Amino acid sequence: MKKNKLFKLIAPFAAATMILAACGADKGSTGSSTDGDGDGDGEITKIVAGTEATYAPFEYLDTKGNVVGLDAEILAAIGEEMGIETEMKNTGWDAMLSQVTTGGIDMGAAAITITDDRKETYDFTAPYYEASLLIVTKEDSEIESLADLKDSKIAVQMNTTGHKAAQDLQGKASKNILAYENFSVALTEVLNGSTEAAIGDNAVILEYIKNNPDAGLKTIEDDSFEVDYFGFIVKKGNKELLDVLNEGLAKIKENGKLAEITGTEIE
Amino acid sequence: MDFFRWDIIWDYRELYLSGFLTTIILTICGYIGGVIFGLLLGLGQVSNKKWIYWPAKIYIDVFRGTPMLVQLLLIHLAVIPTIFGESMSWWVSGIVGLILNSAAYNAEIFRAGIQSIDKGQMEAARSLGLTHSQAMKKVILPQAFRRMIPPLGNEFIALLKDSSLVTVIAGMEILYVSKVVAGTYQRFWEPYLFAAFLYLVLTYTATKIIAIVEKRVDINYNPRKKRGAHK
Repeated sequence: MKKNKLFKLIAPFAAATMILAACGADKGSTGSSTDGDGDGDGEITKIVAGTEATYAPFEYLDTKGNVVGLDAEILAAIGEEMGIETEMKNTGWDAMLSQVTTGGIDMGAAAITITDDRKETYDFTAPYYEASLLIVTKEDSEIESLADLKDSKIAVQMNTTGHKAAQDLQGKASKNILAYENFSVALTEVLNGSTEAAIGDNAVILEYIKNNPDAGLKTIEDDSFEVDYFGFIVKKGNKELLDVLNEGLAKIKENGKLAEITGTEIE
Repeated sequence: MDFFRWDIIWDYRELYLSGFLTTIILTICGYIGGVIFGLLLGLGQVSNKKWIYWPAKIYIDVFRGTPMLVQLLLIHLAVIPTIFGESMSWWVSGIVGLILNSAAYNAEIFRAGIQSIDKGQMEAARSLGLTHSQAMKKVILPQAFRRMIPPLGNEFIALLKDSSLVTVIAGMEILYVSKVVAGTYQRFWEPYLFAAFLYLVLTYTATKIIAIVEKRVDINYNPRKKRGAHK
């Protein structure tokens, strides 16, 4: 009798687990196919890319939970060109960075700005997108340039180039820089009026304003922002994968596919 | 490359110090508010009046049944902006969130503490002519309070650790600083290990203080016992 009682208690959980498992089953193996240390002589047949899917239009989740967006489209185009299966996995930013090195994923594709600091830890592909930062404030704000934000509260996404730009302006330890896990929260804070402005990538801000034309936000360009280039990252020394990605990237630049996806040209 | 680069922690010492103090202030403010509000809710839980009992019961179930992370985001990004027209600093949202959450847990501690006192105590006090609230204040609560000290101490430590969730609304406490450092240098051992160390220092100190308080209020505590004098 006792056993029966225990079963009754466990049954709903077991059922829920089985349903969840069934939903996940069609995804197949999510394991990485390259060994990641760059010396494998087996041909690359599948690339698993990590990303942080809260960054429309570069990467976000569709209603079914699939990673979609520009990065996903570009990677898919490269895969198609090179005859390689590709997969985008939503790992989150920090996990993506560490798993590129420790294994689990082969590369990172998350609108990653190419910087010298990051080049010390990862190998970057050729750039595929040119981005610049924008300031976004309410329409009635008196802010006109980056310099006007010297003593204002600025919302940014944590550890992005926007965060860096705010730190360069106000100092590393500034209490006026509010860094959020994702950029949409930073934008919400501007809308709610708790911060004067947000600094972020142009594509993301313009996409938001396009989707929310009545939000009452305006954007400000500032010449002091440096232009950034986005690239994919692989584990340092993984030349085999890097070559494949660069070759595919060169091909889709050549045939105009890249410009078609991003809507901009890049040299 | 050095295995541990402590210099990156040192570079950010100013931020770490302010994060450390922020964690302490958030926790203490959240705790004091949570104990006061929790006591009211706990008394509501032992009330015979349905209009007091049910709102308290529903409040406790909702706040114990939902994650604090969700509560913080809801309070900061939705509730406060809706009520006041604009959102307030993360200090306000963070402390409000910690108070509202810990009050629900404290309420259960108070309820259990009060109910653990034998019914005869209330009956005796009433038969001596005390009103219900007098009996509660003078007879029941002082006895119950001693039994509540250990679980209230646990709740303080839990709240101390949960205060790290304020990071999601850009609350600049210990975890926030560590995430900034980790992101800047792309190194994860040093900042997070240091964060763990800081939390450990805080919880260890809190444990010691709670132990002292427990001894102070324990009427059965006999200092001679400690020296092994019992035969």
